[in-house]
Amino acid sequence: MDLVSISGAKVLMIGAGALGNEVAKDLVLSGFRKVTIVDMDHVVGSNLNRCLFFSREDARQGRKKAEVVAEGMRVLSADARPRPITGRVQDQPGRLFSDHDIVLGCLDNIEARIHANAHSYSTGKVYIDGGMDGMLGKVMVARPPKGACLQCGMNRTHAKIASMRFSCTGRDVVFHEPKLAAEITTTSIVSAVMVREALKAVSGHPEMLLNNAFYYDGRRNLSEEMEIPLDPECPVHPRGRGATGKRKRFKST
Amino acid sequence: MSSISGGFLPVRIKVKNAETGASVEMELEMENTIDEVIESAATFWSKDMGAYVLRKGKKVLRGGNSLKDAGLRADDVLELIPDPEGG
Repeated sequence: MDLVSISGAKVLMIGAGALGNEVAKDLVLSGFRKVTIVDMDHVVGSNLNRCLFFSREDARQGRKKAEVVAEGMRVLSADARPRPITGRVQDQPGRLFSDHDIVLGCLDNIEARIHANAHSYSTGKVYIDGGMDGMLGKVMVARPPKGACLQCGMNRTHAKIASMRFSCTGRDVVFHEPKLAAEITTTSIVSAVMVREALKAVSGHPEMLLNNAFYYDGRRNLSEEMEIPLDPECPVHPRGRGATGKRKRFKST
Repeated sequence: MSSISGGFLPVRIKVKNAETGASVEMELEMENTIDEVIESAATFWSKDMGAYVLRKGKKVLRGGNSLKDAGLRADDVLELIPDPEGG
């Protein structure tokens, strides 16, 4: 690993929930220093059992997650230079992506994922996306300008739930789905794989990066790499249209 | 899901449920799409609303592809897996 490159790399981390907490911890303990944290939420009590940096006092005050995580990173390393931004990633200026070297998605909804994926790809930044549901986890690495992106692996079931949030406190309350909170051991595994991939990318070892997706099933003690083929109809890719002329029905915002 | 109609011959495909180990055999036409198979299997097993993908071996199948486009054949075994979206 190239520690000089790692400490100098500008990392954009989107989402500061359960996964964002773990990724932030792994980033700073791995030597990353310049981390921009984007999150729109504030800390609530139900976050506390799975989020390293959040305290009861943070929840009582309703503090912004991005700010609390940034503080926590500074506690772990005096050299850390985290920059918190409170707001939706979709509302940030486009240069946010081009101003960074690598992007890590710790998001809880497909809309924001599609946005982060599309903007990372178009600005040529490696995008590492993590997702969890109970004991299931997935890490996807998109490596522009070649290969599949996150959206290439999506289908109609993703489109149907694109605006729902699957936060670390459970499934989207608007839909009254059964609650299934983030499970911290899965979170730890997903975050570790994400940051490990970031270390490889920033150290100049693209040949060591995951090809597409890492899938983890803690119930079956199974982990494996899966291939996501590039979709010629995916709007993220330069041609954007396939032979059929059809486009996927959902686009980045 | 489909039967012999419009001159298309049906094929039998086995879909496994990664979460339970259960499996179901579906009679499909080669023009059916992967999206349709995913939704039919998810409905059959009364899955929660969520994102799912269908894979053959290590390869994730594209939703918009027909079975024919995906290169599937009779008696292929596919697996329906949840695509975790929480953070």
